[in-house]
Amino acid sequence: MRVLKTQVVIVGGGAAGCYAALNLHRKGIKSVIVCKGLVGKSGASLFAGNLVLSGRLLGNTEEQARNTAEFLIKYHNQFLIDQEWAKRCGAWIASVYYPELEEAGLYFRRDGDGNMVVSPGKIRSIAANVQGNSGVPFMDLRRKQVIKAGIETIEETVVTALLHNADGSIAGVFGLQILTGEYVVVLAQATILATGYSDRLHSRSTGTREMSADGIAMGWRAGASMVNLEMQWWHTNDVAYPPTWQRMQIYPNPMLGSEKSARMVNSDGEEFFDQQKDDPLAFGPYTVQLKALVKQVHAGKARYTGGYYAGFDHCAPGEVEAYTSYAKVYQQLGMDFPKSLIETAVTAHYRQGGIDVDTATMSSSVPGLYVAGGIGGHCNGLIALVTYDGKVVADGIADKLGNLREPVLPVEQVEQERERLEGLLVGGGSGEASCAPGKLKETVRSVMWEMAGVEKDARSLNEALEEFSRIRRELVPRLRAKTPVRAANYDWLDAIDSLNMIDAAELVVVSSLQREESRGPFMRRDFPDTDNENWLTANLLHKADNGYRFEKRDYDLTLFRPDFVRADNLEVPW
Amino acid sequence: MNDVLPAPNAVDARRIGQAEHSDSLRARNARIAIGDPVVVKVRRSGNGHLQEFRVPYQKGMRVLDALNVIALNDAPDLAFRWFCGSKMCGTCALRMNGREVLACWEAVEPEMTIEPLRNLPVIRDLVVDRTLYEKKVASFEPWLTRTKPYPGFPEPLSHKTIKNASKAIDCISCMSCYSACPVIGLGSLTDFAGPAPLVQLGQTALDPRQDQRQVARALARSGIFNCVSCYKCEEVCPANIPIVSGVIEPLKAKAAQLVPQMARHPLAFRAVVARRGRIDPGELILRTQGLRVLAVIPRLIRLLVRGKIKPLRTLLGLKTPAAGAASRILNKAGRSS
Repeated sequence: MRVLKTQVVIVGGGAAGCYAALNLHRKGIKSVIVCKGLVGKSGASLFAGNLVLSGRLLGNTEEQARNTAEFLIKYHNQFLIDQEWAKRCGAWIASVYYPELEEAGLYFRRDGDGNMVVSPGKIRSIAANVQGNSGVPFMDLRRKQVIKAGIETIEETVVTALLHNADGSIAGVFGLQILTGEYVVVLAQATILATGYSDRLHSRSTGTREMSADGIAMGWRAGASMVNLEMQWWHTNDVAYPPTWQRMQIYPNPMLGSEKSARMVNSDGEEFFDQQKDDPLAFGPYTVQLKALVKQVHAGKARYTGGYYAGFDHCAPGEVEAYTSYAKVYQQLGMDFPKSLIETAVTAHYRQGGIDVDTATMSSSVPGLYVAGGIGGHCNGLIALVTYDGKVVADGIADKLGNLREPVLPVEQVEQERERLEGLLVGGGSGEASCAPGKLKETVRSVMWEMAGVEKDARSLNEALEEFSRIRRELVPRLRAKTPVRAANYDWLDAIDSLNMIDAAELVVVSSLQREESRGPFMRRDFPDTDNENWLTANLLHKADNGYRFEKRDYDLTLFRPDFVRADNLEVPW
Repeated sequence: MNDVLPAPNAVDARRIGQAEHSDSLRARNARIAIGDPVVVKVRRSGNGHLQEFRVPYQKGMRVLDALNVIALNDAPDLAFRWFCGSKMCGTCALRMNGREVLACWEAVEPEMTIEPLRNLPVIRDLVVDRTLYEKKVASFEPWLTRTKPYPGFPEPLSHKTIKNASKAIDCISCMSCYSACPVIGLGSLTDFAGPAPLVQLGQTALDPRQDQRQVARALARSGIFNCVSCYKCEEVCPANIPIVSGVIEPLKAKAAQLVPQMARHPLAFRAVVARRGRIDPGELILRTQGLRVLAVIPRLIRLLVRGKIKPLRTLLGLKTPAAGAASRILNKAGRSS
């Protein structure tokens, strides 16, 4: 077993984790990135389609700047956001983020005359090289910046537990190197969880293979408070098939260099959504789109698993292909582009909520444990916003580093965790039929999809809780990998993942039961109204001796506030 | 010149022969119906045997879908790597029926043999070790170093000047090209870095903002003139990058300019053709080897006996009637590159 000691250990190699490491490096603070996948090549950051312009960048008018802020607070977070934080973040994006990326070499797409290509409209965006693919060069740049800085990375290594010092503060992480089956411990004064926004807890999810809500599960076990876990975002127009493409979106956002965007039609061929006509202000019209779909589903003209279609049949092929990657899906399936529309379905996307943080430092409620990116409950993800977290967490840690304690190897915890993992590899209920980890994952996902999907109510959510009890009782004791091979044993990894998924899914479900309203993408059949009187508030979940307890915390509403007290969520424009 | 030679990108190498062999995507998809068995033979580690599985075809099924069904139902211990499942992370490349494909991107075929990529060590089953590749890329210093101060956002830059680099930026480092490259297949016989690392290098080396000294350092380590321009890399690239015409050839041109000692052979070849209108092996050997030819006299004698070199013609500097045209074309190409 390898044991390393560093100043800061970062769990996750996406936009937030990499930027935190780079900023710590600038400050002369040593960090190690432990990444379940490959730094810059796994997780959600790759999927950034395009990059929103904030403030007065690139000739944004005062109105466009205001629209962007309004979009972030209202459409993107349904007011469940610290507006002062949003202001700081917006200013940083305009003054630091874009110049810094370009200076480092990121190529923002130009036309033949050298003008940056912008999507027109009330909120504008640009793309790194190609719209729909911006995250790929963006994260490739980060990967190379990390290499250049000489920051140590431990890749294809799953962190399975947070380790504690005697006083309860976090001492570092315990991990399993997937390719070799060897264990690793990284001790540090501060630990940053940057495990991403999404968790593949539903049958259809934009989460990538390695995502299994590890951050939420480990953070919770370590005692961190959660917030708004029920606030789950959905993609409304991801392709319905093949299964491996479930996170491939027919982007609804305006196209670069064109006035048009994708349109959606129901099973009768009637158009029911086009961002340009239905919601020009909602740059990322996900919630509005979802509400439009829910109405189609209620009318029997679409299903959450398919039966409706999206595409660009109102566009010229050149118009779509000039600056976007949007045609690739159709072409790869041998469809006639742009004449054919593709069948689409709903996919669980960002989890807006997550670990509760102090937005000034990104510290959690547990000493020594910090958070950056989508795993935080302070804001819905977007690549610029999570990058900002990377900066704030580095500043927060730098200010505190002198006060954070030197970690001591907690021998007993390490031994316990090693035994737990070995048990999943070879132990686990020998004698009776074992439970296949891959199947268990699918079971959890299907419970979430059926009972805690787009629309839910107290009955379905309670059924989900009963299912989880049954899974814990009947399946978990028999959970183990099929063979004891150590190298690249993804079956073993699935076993480790599935336990995190059950814990996290249960927290999501109890949080969903607690919020007795519907708000944006969160839809309760039994509470269909958006209730600003009682629920314009953070839904905090604390760990308690006998389980958990909830608490409400109000948001400041300094910039924008809703203009109604109570209304049918499906009729609310955001 | 356009009426003499076809434009370099006029033919898409991937499409050649597809219509004749009913090998288009549409044709392949049409051959399988929902529920039909897809026969998948997977090369397993250990004794390297092919293990056979049958999975029912689903609409639009990708190779990765088939592997996921196998792992879920038949062989949970089957090792294969993937993260995004949608052609962005580039980690699921493998060989299907002898051809490099991205598992998430390629349609299944009714019968397919699945094997790991070549030219990289296999960790287990379909998972290869990427370390060698990563080291090579890192040795190229693959980041932008500016020679002038950054002027602020947005900096003046036209798409035309960064066009080749922007093609290279589409690289998802999936290693398909690295597996398909026959020169890499020769192992340590050459010092060729391989197509994937060169595409990575092209991202910054073909960027007009890049410090040319850094480019020269990287090219000097690239062995780039060992590339035989066979286009195998381009043929398999799932990102449709014109690897040879858009990246390696422009990088070779840069190497000839920045590190001319590397380019002795191609520059001599070109000079001989420009002067004589055809290649003269004797002159080529003299120009590239210089006095070192004295060390290989037995080989020279063999070449002489077989008529490969003709000293008299070499020494007299004989030209063919095509010499004028050759020199015109090459000099024109030289000016425009």
